[in-house]
Amino acid sequence: MSTHPMEHRWSRRQFMRRAGGAAIALPTMSAILAACSKPGTTSSGEGGSGSAGGERVLARPDNPVKLPLNGEPISADTPIEAGATLQVYNWDAYMYKKVLKDFEDKFGVTIEWTTFNNMEEGIQKLVSGQVKPDVFFPTTDYISRLVEKDLLQPLQQTLIPNMEGNVWPSFSNPGPWYDLGWQYTVPYTIYTTGVAYRRDRVEDSVAETQGYDLLWNADYSGEISYYDSYRDAIGMALIRNGNMDPNTGDDAAITAAKDAIMQLLNDFDGRLTINGAFAKIPEGEFTVAQSWSGDIVGAKWYLPKGTSEDVLGYWYPDDKVGLIGNDCIVIPTTAQSPRLAHEFLNFFLDETYGYENFASWNGYQPPFTSIDPDTLISDKVIPPALDRAVVTEEMFTKGLIQGELSADVDQKWLDAWNEIQAGGSA
Amino acid sequence: MEATTTPTTEPERKAKHTKSDTASGAWYPRWYWPSFTGPGTIWMIVLFLLPFYTVLAVAFGTVDPLFRTPLPVYQPWWWSFATFQTTLQKFYVAPAVYQPPLIRTFEYVFVASLICLVIGYAVAYYAARYAGKYRIPILVLLVAPFWISYLMRIYAWQSLLQPDGYVNDILMALGLVSQPVLWLSGKGITVVLGLVYGYIPFMILPLFGSLDRINQNLLEAGRDLGASPSQTFRRVTLPLSKPAILAGLVIVSLPMLGDYYTNNLLGSTRTSMYGNLIDGSVGQAGQGPEAGSLVLILMVIVIVPMLYYLRETRRAAENA
Repeated sequence: MSTHPMEHRWSRRQFMRRAGGAAIALPTMSAILAACSKPGTTSSGEGGSGSAGGERVLARPDNPVKLPLNGEPISADTPIEAGATLQVYNWDAYMYKKVLKDFEDKFGVTIEWTTFNNMEEGIQKLVSGQVKPDVFFPTTDYISRLVEKDLLQPLQQTLIPNMEGNVWPSFSNPGPWYDLGWQYTVPYTIYTTGVAYRRDRVEDSVAETQGYDLLWNADYSGEISYYDSYRDAIGMALIRNGNMDPNTGDDAAITAAKDAIMQLLNDFDGRLTINGAFAKIPEGEFTVAQSWSGDIVGAKWYLPKGTSEDVLGYWYPDDKVGLIGNDCIVIPTTAQSPRLAHEFLNFFLDETYGYENFASWNGYQPPFTSIDPDTLISDKVIPPALDRAVVTEEMFTKGLIQGELSADVDQKWLDAWNEIQAGGSA
Repeated sequence: MEATTTPTTEPERKAKHTKSDTASGAWYPRWYWPSFTGPGTIWMIVLFLLPFYTVLAVAFGTVDPLFRTPLPVYQPWWWSFATFQTTLQKFYVAPAVYQPPLIRTFEYVFVASLICLVIGYAVAYYAARYAGKYRIPILVLLVAPFWISYLMRIYAWQSLLQPDGYVNDILMALGLVSQPVLWLSGKGITVVLGLVYGYIPFMILPLFGSLDRINQNLLEAGRDLGASPSQTFRRVTLPLSKPAILAGLVIVSLPMLGDYYTNNLLGSTRTSMYGNLIDGSVGQAGQGPEAGSLVLILMVIVIVPMLYYLRETRRAAENA
């Protein structure tokens, strides 16, 4: 048995910088070299598609993209790299160590585990070549950019039979909106973004009628947590305001979302946190919190002794039109053990290992056909009161996806976010 | 202090003691003593000048068009000052979104430094003059918090200050408050106390060192000449400890100006300080030049008290 989840589990998006360990984006060798020629013009267009800069096609569910193929996948009869060390580059503690150990034992290899604390750091180190992983875990909004820079290798699909055998068909046929035909990615986890609440302080019926406004409620002043992550924070405020496009570039909508968040923080004593949902709701410090479904499912590991799981509640719109997303696993071009990396992808899509990783550690659900939402509750993986934290394939057709933003829209979001972080004059 | 003066006085002393020597530098090549600054110089170049130049290169550089990661520009002739300018304007051009955190930072640092000084002076004074055999235990206790990481100690404060934490329990038990105080939801006083808590040992140690070295005879002379105890303190002890007060204030207030984790852990956006602006933009895609600009602006702000401190210490040294 490796470490018990209770002792070591962190959120997948535990930005350590919040806790003082800033991941400073210092320049890297390649950045320095890049700076030797005229800046800003250097690093585009290496990927061959030649469309870096202004006219990028932004993938969306209603505008799915088929990514250009960079080279050929490895041959299906490539031998497994015996005795290799597999370099895994992932969010901190986003995988169960015991299952990683199972992988090592099964293939007689060693796993070297390297972590990043937020996506920007992960991308920065990958792009600059500071890390050369065999396996990487990007969010969906980075996939097309990684392919454009020729940083991902096409997958040899015959080596990943679990995609057809165990993963929701929509992820393989036609494939996800960000990678039609799953040429580069397999899904890792799926999650919704809703509102976590303490059921011993908030009635389910109240949660049902209030919805997002649980977070904008003076009754819980001082006990409200909101994610310290600009896409999630502004994204939910947009929806709460009735703007159903979480990728909007509309100035008025962004300003209104910003004002709503500042109201939450200044008038209702809300706080921006990253551990509010998974750690502080179970501990009782917060009554309501913006929450990824996986965070509240994993929150049971943080309940003080003697506190029942029944205190944890999760609201997500009943019509399923809310924020939804997934994370991916990819194999970078630099992989030293590409065949082993394919085995790794297949391993974590396995109904036994992938399931154990989720149920005994992660809290973030994999999109498996072998998982039946009802059994998750009857098997007590997910407490009955958290039934809305279960993600179904159908929800992906209705849910709102946070895709890549164009540079100028992104800047608008960041400007709003800077203002939120500066706190206003209150 | 002692260590830096040794190199210059040593040759003189040698010269006095060995009379056969004609010139003081006879035993040592000309480069010998200056070479002692070598490690320090290398240290400063590697750990200060290079990183600082990198900050300049990031602040006046650009971002990768695709991933929006910072792309530092090391050639000054390609530097762009656009981001620096817009960042600077966020402090004074309406809506001046960065002005409130700047003002807050000054307020918090001023109050916290003052509290550090008042409490620190009293403790150092007692330890240096009246503690007797308890001097060593007191000093050990002062240093003891450093055995535990600051982060851990602030986490401890988080749980103490929670609505159902011990602080509220005690306040309620004493009947001082009827409702738990929400210490952690963006209260300036919590952040100020956190700063005081974190930095006060840095105030006490130099003060203790200075007060401890004050010659007792001077105080007795003051009393002999008819000064009251408070006059002796005001006219002898206080002026003699002024360099230490200044040093203490500089040592605590400069890092406080850039502190962000105290507010991250004990405050909210309502109590955002300057350091939080930097922390918020560092590592955020597309925000690299802005983060660099914020660092440069803070440096300029910090240089002012630093220059004052240097001038004062030089003057003190000249008067001594």
